[in-house]
Amino acid sequence: MDIQLKVKKNIQFRASYLFFILASTQIGVGIMGAPRYIFQYAKQDSWISILISFLFMIVVMFAMLYILRSYGSADIFGIQVDLFGSIIGKILGTVYIVYFLMGLMTVLLTYIEAVRLFLYPTLSPFVIAFLLLSLAIYAVYGGIRVTVGVTFLFFLLSQWVLLLLYDPVSRMEWEHFLPMFQTPTSELLKGAKETTFTLSGFEIVFLLYPFVHNKDQIKKPIFFGISFAAFILFILTIISIGYYSLEDLENIEWSVLTLFKGIKYTFIERLDYVVVVEWMMVIIPNTIMLLWGITHGIKRLYSIPSKHSIFFISALLLLASSIIKDDAHISKLTGTVSEAGFWIVFIYPLVLVPIVWLKRKHQKQKGSR
Amino acid sequence: MRKRQKGSNKDIFPSSLPTLEQILQQQNLDISFSTYDLHEQKVAVFFIDYLTDTNKAQASLLKPLLAIPNQLTNSAIMNHIPLQGGETIQSLELIIEKLLSGTVFIYLENEKEALSYKLAHVEKRSPDKAETESLVVGPKIAFNESITTNMNIIRSRVQSSDLIMEPLHIGKTNSREVRIVYMKSIANDEDVQTIKQRIQDLDIDEVEDSIILKQYIEDSQLSFFPQFDSTELPDRFTYAITRGKVGVLVDNSSTGIIAPATLFSFLQSTEDIYMRWNEGTIFRFIRFIAVFISFFLTPAYVAIVTYQFGIIPTQLLISLGKSRAAVPFPPFLEAILLEFLIELLREAGARLPTKVGQTMGIVGGIVIGQAAVQAGLTSNILIIVVAMSALASFTSPNYLLGTTVRLLRFPLIFLAGLFGLFGIVFGISLLVIHLLRLKSLGRPYLLPLYPLKLKDFNKSFFRAPLPYEHNRAISYRPKFLFRFNKKEAAKKRDIDE
Repeated sequence: MDIQLKVKKNIQFRASYLFFILASTQIGVGIMGAPRYIFQYAKQDSWISILISFLFMIVVMFAMLYILRSYGSADIFGIQVDLFGSIIGKILGTVYIVYFLMGLMTVLLTYIEAVRLFLYPTLSPFVIAFLLLSLAIYAVYGGIRVTVGVTFLFFLLSQWVLLLLYDPVSRMEWEHFLPMFQTPTSELLKGAKETTFTLSGFEIVFLLYPFVHNKDQIKKPIFFGISFAAFILFILTIISIGYYSLEDLENIEWSVLTLFKGIKYTFIERLDYVVVVEWMMVIIPNTIMLLWGITHGIKRLYSIPSKHSIFFISALLLLASSIIKDDAHISKLTGTVSEAGFWIVFIYPLVLVPIVWLKRKHQKQKGSR
Repeated sequence: MRKRQKGSNKDIFPSSLPTLEQILQQQNLDISFSTYDLHEQKVAVFFIDYLTDTNKAQASLLKPLLAIPNQLTNSAIMNHIPLQGGETIQSLELIIEKLLSGTVFIYLENEKEALSYKLAHVEKRSPDKAETESLVVGPKIAFNESITTNMNIIRSRVQSSDLIMEPLHIGKTNSREVRIVYMKSIANDEDVQTIKQRIQDLDIDEVEDSIILKQYIEDSQLSFFPQFDSTELPDRFTYAITRGKVGVLVDNSSTGIIAPATLFSFLQSTEDIYMRWNEGTIFRFIRFIAVFISFFLTPAYVAIVTYQFGIIPTQLLISLGKSRAAVPFPPFLEAILLEFLIELLREAGARLPTKVGQTMGIVGGIVIGQAAVQAGLTSNILIIVVAMSALASFTSPNYLLGTTVRLLRFPLIFLAGLFGLFGIVFGISLLVIHLLRLKSLGRPYLLPLYPLKLKDFNKSFFRAPLPYEHNRAISYRPKFLFRFNKKEAAKKRDIDE
């Protein structure tokens, strides 16, 4: 396996699209219920938890960039093989792929659950998963440029939903935030950890890096992408805390979706329906990016063509999403994946940094001798 | 037939006139063959009379020929006939070919060569007003079926030596002239090369029309969307050419092809430029909205009335319920019925002669529509919805895109009937992904939206005042971006200075 990934120029994309990729992969299904989970621990100071977690993400981002930059044009699969040797490197790469696969599965399961809960209690999960996956396959078949285009356009197509938030904002009670700074630090950190579960997704940079055309300008779009996602979560959490009473927020499962329920116009109401279906445009970039990542990873590690593995993976996901229907199972799976994600996405890059640093130093000494 | 005789009749000259006549008449080509005795020499004049300008042949060829005072030789005839382009020809094959393109031949008995003068007469209409695309403001002339007329119109619109009209021939059994039109110093070489290559690589017997050639050389065969623009308006054609696109003209076709195209170029009309920039921008937006309405409105009705009627506020729901009270069908069937009716009307209107067509429009639109509501087959509101989306689909400046939008509505109605709003969002997502995958001459179909070229937004989504359009669009990578000097910003002055 080659450590460096040579990418032809006609399938590279510009760094600025990373903003849209990160903004749309970080804001996924998790955000629909996230404020409640953060609120569980951090109460009215939840916003501090989000800020802590944002700062942590920036640190991780710099770690990732350091690792990637010291290689030039490699992705995480190549870097792991270089650092730990072929066998361990491939095992670690497989862990990454399995993590992406499980992540994709939770995205599908959670969205299917939301659709069934809000719109069609009788529609079979199999059908919904089939529709979503067929879209994803069609897009991934178009290659990385189409994949990036989908995340970009769907990001633009789904932003109008934010405008609807002015209604809950106008009904907020600012007293809900008082008294401030009362939550103990340990609880704040727990809330911050919950936040990272929602905002994971920027690990895709580890895979996309070789495909970026102007690698020297990569920092800004990544920073703004992460900031945008964190900002949206921040706003949604603040609105949720201000809008719901304390007891309500702890009990309403899809707190963000329910925000839209009260909006009324003379020609339309019950906008939560619209938001749930529109949320599909947020889910699709997620699905497509992850599906691309999985098939690309399999190709890198085992040289199996993406054209074949994509159908196998999709069949697997389809099967899983039609078998796992129980609410409890889904939340247990989501919990496990999130926990794993915390270690893989947030801690692992920090562990890699000293190893990469040592290796580089070692190589330099060798070179100078 | 001609191919078979190639070997046997290669050298027919010199021959006597009766044998020549016999050989020629064997071809079954309605050749008019006349012989004259002049100065004890026999001369034959032959041509196909319906392909030849007979008046001209009489006046400028036959008359001077018969008036030649001295001994006849080929060179003497050539000197006396006041026509250009006299040629001597030996082989029978070439003679037949030339006869078919309207050439008059003169043959002196027992000479080795025949003399030929091209006096072709092609039936054509004179350039007329455009039928399928019409402009309120701007030039009214349209292309017609003669490539020489079309080239004439284009040359007179673009009087520059930069304009290249490269000739090509396609079709093996029925050869036809094709011209690739582009500006040498502006058009992207790669585009010109690609389109030339695609036409040259075609190994087909014949191409009936440019719209058919377009289908042969487009990027994706399966898509519903037209990937090359086609127009019968010379101003639209030359506008695109001078902005760096490549055009294709085909003989006997009144439509010019323009490539590459984007989805948004189909929604632009040259009228946007003839109007003031602010008006042009608004009309362009109306067209964008119209496409969206025409695509989205009926499916939304079906989805909401079937599944998500919670979305409709109570007041509106009451009036909707009233109008639907007598309708026994589910909304999906109701919508499909009415949409099909509209398509029937459109198809009938397009096939019938204009006078009958108008009557049919009234009968279909007003009488059937009214009767359908009274009979309880459809609701009033749906009639409004369907009529509005049909109307909206006709705003597209390009008829082909309007058709695409109208047809794609049907699958979306199906999806809406099956899955409600979820189905609609699925359909739109599928469409967006499809458009992202689509290419036109190898360039992305959604330019300048993706890949994002913000500088080109004033050329595709809205229109800037003309002094600010001092560059060509960068999306197609023309060789030469600069058009004219940007207007210098006036020195800022305070009020009343």
